[in-house]
Amino acid sequence: MNKKTVIEIWVGVFMALGLVALFFLAMQVSNLGTAYTGETFDVNARFDNIGGLKVKAPVTIAGVEVGRVTGIRYDAEDFRAVVVMGIQEQYLERIPEDSFAKILTAGLLGEQYVGLDPGGSEDTLAEGSEIAVTQSALVLEEVVGQFIFGKAKEGT
Amino acid sequence: MIGFFAKLGGWGLQALTRLGRAHLLLLSMMRGLLEILRRPRLLLDQVFSVGVLTILIIAVAGLFVGMVLGLQGFYILSRFGGETALGLMVAASLVRELGPVLTALLFAGRAGSALTAEIGLMKATEQLSGLEMMAVNPEHRVLAPRFFAGFLSVPLLAALFSMLGVMGGWMVGGGMLSVDQGAFWNGMQNGIDFREDIINGVIKSVVFGFVCTWIAIFQGYDCVPTSEGVSRATTRTVVHSSLAVLGLDFVLTALMFS
Amino acid sequence: MSKAENIDPTPPLVRIRGLRFRRGSRWIFDGVDMDIPRGKVTAIMGPSGTGKTTLLKLIGGQLRPDEGTVEVDGENVHALKTPDLYRLRMRMGMLFQSGALLTDMSVFENVAFPLREHTGLTESMIRKLVLLKLEAVGLRGARDLMPSELSGGMARRVALARAIALDPMMIMYDEPFTGQDPISMGVLVQLIRRLNDAARISSVVVSHDVTDTLRIADQVHVISNGRVVESGSPAQLQESGGDWTRQFIQGLPDGPVPFHYPAASLREDVLELPA
Repeated sequence: MNKKTVIEIWVGVFMALGLVALFFLAMQVSNLGTAYTGETFDVNARFDNIGGLKVKAPVTIAGVEVGRVTGIRYDAEDFRAVVVMGIQEQYLERIPEDSFAKILTAGLLGEQYVGLDPGGSEDTLAEGSEIAVTQSALVLEEVVGQFIFGKAKEGT
Repeated sequence: MIGFFAKLGGWGLQALTRLGRAHLLLLSMMRGLLEILRRPRLLLDQVFSVGVLTILIIAVAGLFVGMVLGLQGFYILSRFGGETALGLMVAASLVRELGPVLTALLFAGRAGSALTAEIGLMKATEQLSGLEMMAVNPEHRVLAPRFFAGFLSVPLLAALFSMLGVMGGWMVGGGMLSVDQGAFWNGMQNGIDFREDIINGVIKSVVFGFVCTWIAIFQGYDCVPTSEGVSRATTRTVVHSSLAVLGLDFVLTALMFS
Repeated sequence: MSKAENIDPTPPLVRIRGLRFRRGSRWIFDGVDMDIPRGKVTAIMGPSGTGKTTLLKLIGGQLRPDEGTVEVDGENVHALKTPDLYRLRMRMGMLFQSGALLTDMSVFENVAFPLREHTGLTESMIRKLVLLKLEAVGLRGARDLMPSELSGGMARRVALARAIALDPMMIMYDEPFTGQDPISMGVLVQLIRRLNDAARISSVVVSHDVTDTLRIADQVHVISNGRVVESGSPAQLQESGGDWTRQFIQGLPDGPVPFHYPAASLREDVLELPA
């Protein structure tokens, strides 16, 4: 075979390998393969305490991911945290308005995420709606504190 | 005392002129891009000698680094029952740091030193001068294709390194040490963000490829055209490239992941 | 002598005026004036280290003089813009001491290189031209060899074929005779003469090899200490009265250029007397 052709083939192989590797990193190693990239609508929820919740944390209903946290800010008016959630468009007008939002932890020490418990209302969540009923994150120190306080009360 | 300051000043002046020459060369090579677009064959040949011939060392190194990461990670993580995070640990350290950095270091040692020696020898044997007298600009015709070939090859090599590293970690973790397969891949996918980790890793390797190839070509082109000069330039290429990669890695990491 | 002094209506091919050039603090050329005529073999001679190669690089525009002008074919080399300089260089061939063949290409590709770079000729045209040029230097049969497989003399002849590939108006030979055995020396001398006379390519030969250079040169310039010390035909030079030129041409070990590198007297040195 001609030396020129050999070089061409090898360079082709190299380029293909490199691109396959990049593709592998994108789809198999990172979250790109599993991430939802379509349209979303924003829903707000106010929490007394969000614990360790981070932007991009999943939002789930019955354990199935329906969206992601897209923003977290502090409202100085009522001293609470406002969590903005981007919910996938396919669930627009499918989630009851009186759903219950709580911050949960995956496993004992895992990442925190938002779980939605559907309510019974006819009205549904849409762009800009706000979830009224929320439950804050469990903060370990508070739990331990309550436990000790409870024990102490029992003792009296 | 005055002699000392004069020496220091002279040294500083020399360093500055070298820096200036290096940037002028970079500019000239950028202009050479036009010629490469007209004749892609020039680039092709260089991608072969710069990129393809480096695949083997990158592949072997990537695989072994991944396997070692798998082993070490497993021992540490299993102490507090976190074996399921092995995939994430292996992938994160490869994609963010080890892939781009080790690839660049290996590239400087394998391809960079070869580039310097080749260009230095071309200078010593008057081939570059000869090109100039044939009305061919060696900066465009000889140096620019090598530069862009290196610039193009390093990110691909780094991706290859990371991929094989993840495979290596998976072989050790999933095969030898029985970490749950689902947990391995799932933890990896949940923990590695495409934009934050993969893209930043690729940006790193692009920067490293740029710097390493630039240093290698400049050292060859600027060397004293004797056999001693070429050998010194080759050593300088490896030393300067390695230091530049490690220093830049710190700066880039601080910028990207802070 | 009459040949050199014929009044030439055309201006000289290369005209150097007041050329000064220095490396660091040392003046390599300190006011050189020189004319190189068309259609002749002009030799530039001088001991090693006098910057003969540097002079060729100044003519080719690879180096820039500190003062003075170099005109080639009526154009001031160092005032030209890069594209114009390159166009001028296409008409100048240069034969380097080492041949300067591109080591990663075969003999054929080396000779084809300038044609591929500068002409849009078809592959079959290039093949014909390359074979003709190689035939002229007698190496058509060696076209598939790599430069590493060539002897020094052959490499120089291939480089010569490459230098004439674009049919230049002049060729500069940098030390063409150094390190050649008598046979390849004879071949080169004959080639230079033949290219000059048959192909009307003006030749500039830089050398310190006296006998062979004087054999082919029509005109000789001798440079020493940054100046032209003697000019004329070979015959003129051989009977010249200058001490320095006589020493150089006849290869005398001692003369104006002393045998001893400057030092204190032997007696002082050996006996370690204070100077």
